[in-house]
Amino acid sequence: MKSKVKSQKSKVKMGLTLTFAFFILQFAFAGTASAMLTAKANHDHISIDFFYHGSTVSVKGLSDAGRDLVVKITSPEGHQVLKKKGKVGGLLWMNVGTLSFEKTPNLYEVFSTRKIGDILSVEERGKYTLGYEALATHVEVAPVADASEKAQWFGEFVKFKEESNLYKSDFGKIEMKDLPDGRQEYFIQTQWPYQAAPGDYTVSVYAVKNGKVVEQAESHVKVEQVGMVKALAEMAANSAALYGFLSIGIALSAGFGVGMVFRKGGGSH
Amino acid sequence: MYLYLPVALTSINILIPVGLGLAVGLLSGLFGVGGGFLMTPLLIMFGIPSTVAAATDSNQIVAASTSGTYAHWKVGNVDFKMGIYLLAGGFLGGLVGVQAIKLLHAMGNADFVIKMTYVFMLGIVGVYMFIESLQSMKKKKAEVAEAKEEKESAVGRFLKSLPLQTRFEKSGITHSALVPIVLGGFVGVLAAIMGVGGGFLMVPIMVYMLRMPMHVVVGTSLFQILFTCIEVTFLQATTNHSVDFILAVLLLLGSTVGAQVGAVFGRKLRAEQLKILLAVIVLVVTVKIIFELTLTPSLLISQAGGH
Repeated sequence: MKSKVKSQKSKVKMGLTLTFAFFILQFAFAGTASAMLTAKANHDHISIDFFYHGSTVSVKGLSDAGRDLVVKITSPEGHQVLKKKGKVGGLLWMNVGTLSFEKTPNLYEVFSTRKIGDILSVEERGKYTLGYEALATHVEVAPVADASEKAQWFGEFVKFKEESNLYKSDFGKIEMKDLPDGRQEYFIQTQWPYQAAPGDYTVSVYAVKNGKVVEQAESHVKVEQVGMVKALAEMAANSAALYGFLSIGIALSAGFGVGMVFRKGGGSH
Repeated sequence: MYLYLPVALTSINILIPVGLGLAVGLLSGLFGVGGGFLMTPLLIMFGIPSTVAAATDSNQIVAASTSGTYAHWKVGNVDFKMGIYLLAGGFLGGLVGVQAIKLLHAMGNADFVIKMTYVFMLGIVGVYMFIESLQSMKKKKAEVAEAKEEKESAVGRFLKSLPLQTRFEKSGITHSALVPIVLGGFVGVLAAIMGVGGGFLMVPIMVYMLRMPMHVVVGTSLFQILFTCIEVTFLQATTNHSVDFILAVLLLLGSTVGAQVGAVFGRKLRAEQLKILLAVIVLVVTVKIIFELTLTPSLLISQAGGH
């Protein structure tokens, strides 16, 4: 009887040990699958003071060997209303109305190790909004008559954004270095445009294998006005009347001041 | 050296606004125009959002016109009485113009009307001033005086029949008080529709319709522009929050000095020379706008808020 109980106890013990070992192994494998890709933006807090003229942001991290990478930097999505130009009477170019672009980030930059169309399927690009083609499908443009008109105005929108350095799509700029432990180190440095408004930006890195995203990592960049720049921007927004009086007061004083200087300096004027 | 502009949310090389201010301030002191028709498109070209460009330009014109009015007042070239009558008309005209713009927007063809009004007004003013001042320069003094007398007798009879005849000592003319108020109102309506200060319209109206001496016209126009721009700056700051204080300071560093230099230089030129120079500038701007209207633009999308 005693030996029967002992044998049952040892069976339970063994079962528990096996279950524990199974969980440990499962956790360890899961950890390997999701923790290999890392991303770190070196300059994650950009301060805008009077002498700010843009910055540089570099992103680096580790990934499994043999993976292609896509780095996407975006601001939160929002909506933008812009004027569109068209021909009036078949001769004169002028503003012919407005277009509303919904679900569009103000800043959108995508960098990939190779041409994005060569490493990711259309579905995967659409799923993660990677590349202009995917963004074009994601964005809503109104009013447009059909898909081709939407594509035409989205193309113009991208041109407009690229002109202000707020949209960028490029490949081959990510530097890769193989490490002895079988992983690879990646690094990319990009110019942060001074046109990018203050706010929170997300840096997403995607590891790609066989046309699919297999891992994802994230980092953040915060852009913030500081000091007098912040004080003036807040005053313009929150104490508009005082700001208006101050602007007029300074202009009047400067006008009179220069007038007095010229009278003193010029005598005969 | 670059400075960051807290409302425009962009960075600019300080030499650009200071240089632009100097050049446009010079024109302001010379001709009595605010120069918005030149400054605003130039600022947009250098990456300033259109709403901020227009509002901040008004702010800097306050400084340039103060400087210019002061310079002209010192030599007795500001007719304050005429300026106040024109301002009263301009204020009323502005109210009408703002309603007209609302109506045009509701009808859906505002941009077309604005552009066409702009091109036609600039074109007519430029061509008329150019031809008139060219003729004045060619003709002998005696002939000019004779021609002027003829013209004045035709229009003058009607103007003299109007009530409330008032003497404007500084300009040496007598008009019904209604004349500057109505003309000021006319400019006010057009200026509100076109979204400009209207100096390029006010100057020829004072010269050709009110028959004021050119040098008094310049000083009086600046005095009038000063008040219009104070009002516009305040409204822009409180309703659109689009005045960039730092950009305005950079612009006025150049424009206040430019206005003084312009006022000094202007006194060395004859009235015909001033008029023909202004006519050439107005015509160049007209041609530039015609090119913009007819050539395919590089970008078919622009920020909302400007013209």
